[in-house]
This record gives sequence, C-alpha cells and structure tokens, in this order.
Amino acid sequence: MKILDEKPEALLKRAVRGDEQAFLTLYQRHQSALYRYALRMTGSAWAAEEVVQEVFLVLIREPEKYQVERGELGAFLYGVARNRVMKHLERTPRELSLDVMNADGSAWNEPEDPLTPMMIAEKRERIEQVREAVLGLPAEFREAVVLCELEEMSYEEAASACGCPIGTIRSRLHRGRALLLAKLELLRDAPRRASAGAK
Amino acid sequence: MMNCEEFELLGLDMDRVDAEPQEAAAAVQHAKACARCNAMLESWREVKGDLRLLRESTRLDSAPARVEMRLKQELRTRREARVPRSTVVVASWALAAAAVLVASVGWLQTHHKAGPPVVSSSNAGMIGNTSQKASNGDGAEMLLADYDSASFTQLPGSLPSASGYESILEVRMQRGALERFGLPVDPDRASEFVDVDFLVGEDGQPQAVRLHQDLQMATETQ
Repeated sequence: MKILDEKPEALLKRAVRGDEQAFLTLYQRHQSALYRYALRMTGSAWAAEEVVQEVFLVLIREPEKYQVERGELGAFLYGVARNRVMKHLERTPRELSLDVMNADGSAWNEPEDPLTPMMIAEKRERIEQVREAVLGLPAEFREAVVLCELEEMSYEEAASACGCPIGTIRSRLHRGRALLLAKLELLRDAPRRASAGAK
Repeated sequence: MMNCEEFELLGLDMDRVDAEPQEAAAAVQHAKACARCNAMLESWREVKGDLRLLRESTRLDSAPARVEMRLKQELRTRREARVPRSTVVVASWALAAAAVLVASVGWLQTHHKAGPPVVSSSNAGMIGNTSQKASNGDGAEMLLADYDSASFTQLPGSLPSASGYESILEVRMQRGALERFGLPVDPDRASEFVDVDFLVGEDGQPQAVRLHQDLQMATETQ
C-alpha cells in the first residue's frame, strides 16, 4: 500500500514512532486548509503560521489527545487550530492585517488574468472589501462563514470542527451572512455616498 | 410556501450543495414572488461571488516551508531522545530482574542453611564424627571427603566425637611440635616448619590431625 493511501490513524501511529515520511504525509494533507482557516480568522500570516505549527506540535508531542472513536483526524486538527485561533483573538482582538500578503510575507501578486488593468484593480478592491468585511465579523460568526463559505465545508463538517451542533452552525452562519451583507453594503455605499455628497 | 422570515433563515442556503431540495425549491418560489427577498438573494449572490474571488485568490495559500522544517526538527529531536530513553528502560528492567534473581538465590540459600544438616548417617557412623561444615559448604565437603579418605589421623588419647560440630584449624608449626601430639618426628628435620590441619572438637581440644602431603609422606616413611 502506498503511503498516500494509508489511513490517518496508521500514518499517525507511524509518525509517533518517528517515521518522518508518515508525519510529512499527514502534514501535507492538512496544513494548507488549517493555514487558510487560521489566516482568514486572524488576518495575520504570522499568526496563521504559529497556529499551524502549534497544531502539529500537539500531534507530535501529545498524539494520545487524538482518539479515533471521537472523529476524524482532520476535525481534531481543526479543533486544535480553533482553540489556538480563539486564544490568539482573545489576546489581540483587533489585530487585523489588511495587507494582502503571501504566506511568506511577500507582497501578494495578482495571478495571471486576461483582464484589463481597470478590471484587475476593481477585482482586487472587491476582494479586499470582502476580506475586510469577513475579518470584521465577530469571531463565532466569522468562523461559520470561513468554514462554510470559504472552506466550503458541509454543516456537519463545520459542526464537527467547531465542536457544536449543526443547528448552532446554521444559526451562526445565518447571522454571519446578514452581518457580512450589511458590512459590504456599508463599505461599497460609503464611497458612493461620499461622491454623491460632494456633488 | 415559504414566508419572508423562513426565507431569511433558509433561503440563502439554496445554492449550497448540501441544501435540502424541497427547501431550495420553496425558496426559489418565494424569491420569485417577493421583491424584497429577491433583492436580498441577489445581494447575497453578489457577496458569494466576492467570497469566491477571495477563496480563489488564497486557494494556494499554505504554511511556509520553515514551519515544516521546524516540525521535522522537533520530530527528529524526539526520535533521538527516545532511543536512549528506551535503552535506560531496558537496562532498568534488566537490573531489576537481576536484583530479584540474586534476592531469590540468597533467600533459597538462607532457607537451605536453616534446615537440618544433610549428612548421611553412614558417614557419621563410619568416622565417628561429622562436621557442620560437612553438610553446608564446599570446605565442609572437602573435610568430609578428606576424612573419608582417612587423611585425618586420630590423635592418641582422643575419641571420635559424635557431636558433629568440629572445626578445622590450619596452623603452621615446627615439625618437632608434632611430637607433643604423639606423632613420630625425624629429629634431623624437627626444626622445619610445616602446615598442619587440626580437627578441633566442640571442647576446643584437637581430636585429629592432617598433615599436608609432603609431611604425610615423610611421616609415613619414618
């Protein structure tokens, strides 16, 4: 059996015994989603990096914390990441980095796109607005929006990651959406109102 | 038919993959009939489009390589730390097992010593005395064997003891002194030093004597 086909539990057992390849396979499977989640929740590339590192350190140092019968490894890792993110948000509730950065801290570059410079600028502005609006949501609503809308998780998966019932996730998502709509309207109407007032 | 309140709660889910088909159909019907809810749906779809742009712009985001390096380092450190620890554990168990073994053997020996002396009555009868050492240790076995082989010579005027508590006294003395015990001695060699074993009885008196081989031969010659 190829290592990529192995079940997470088997890979974890091997990783705990010091099998680097098994650990890296697990890491590669999950790190990207965890990083995006942490980045979208904290708005900080540095914090997201810390969160991912801490999550996998837990897996290395305290593998017994993961119990197969309580769910999938992915959900467990999300749970650990969520705790770290929430702690980070408690410490620095308004540390919202609005700079568009790559993971390594370099400036974000627009992907190759057959659009005019004007269209590219407009697209980038919209992305910035929605990013700002998401980061401005209260943490629990932001989490629901990030998991269900940006990570495209099902309600069940999101509920498992958050450790709460599906109904709670739906309720948070409903309120998150409403707030997001209101924030974006405010952000987009403000320049219009400003320009209308100038006339 | 869905009302506006229900639409606010459930209507925006209609585009989701995991949306209930019946709910989605009801939401579509309501949106067609209600301008306000339809406007909200349109706004949401616009936001969904923006969210998709954000998702795509960060689709390839991942933790920097330095995180992987740090984690690999941690894994290696722990793996290296685990090897000596397992050695220590094995060594500890081995030591513990050895201690238990030594204690068991010690206990068995003590238990064995506490029992009655194991000397055959035939031997006791034949030599007229037995030694406590005869039943216990290597030295005692040797004494018994030597006595059996009659290397000890009963001293004149002493009777074999039946108590079984004799001991051997090894002394270095002048050959001439053996005369005091009634043994014949060559006067020319009376000043020579010889090694002699005395079998001393419970009363502290010598009962038998064993000369070392050379002396034995010399005395026999005489």
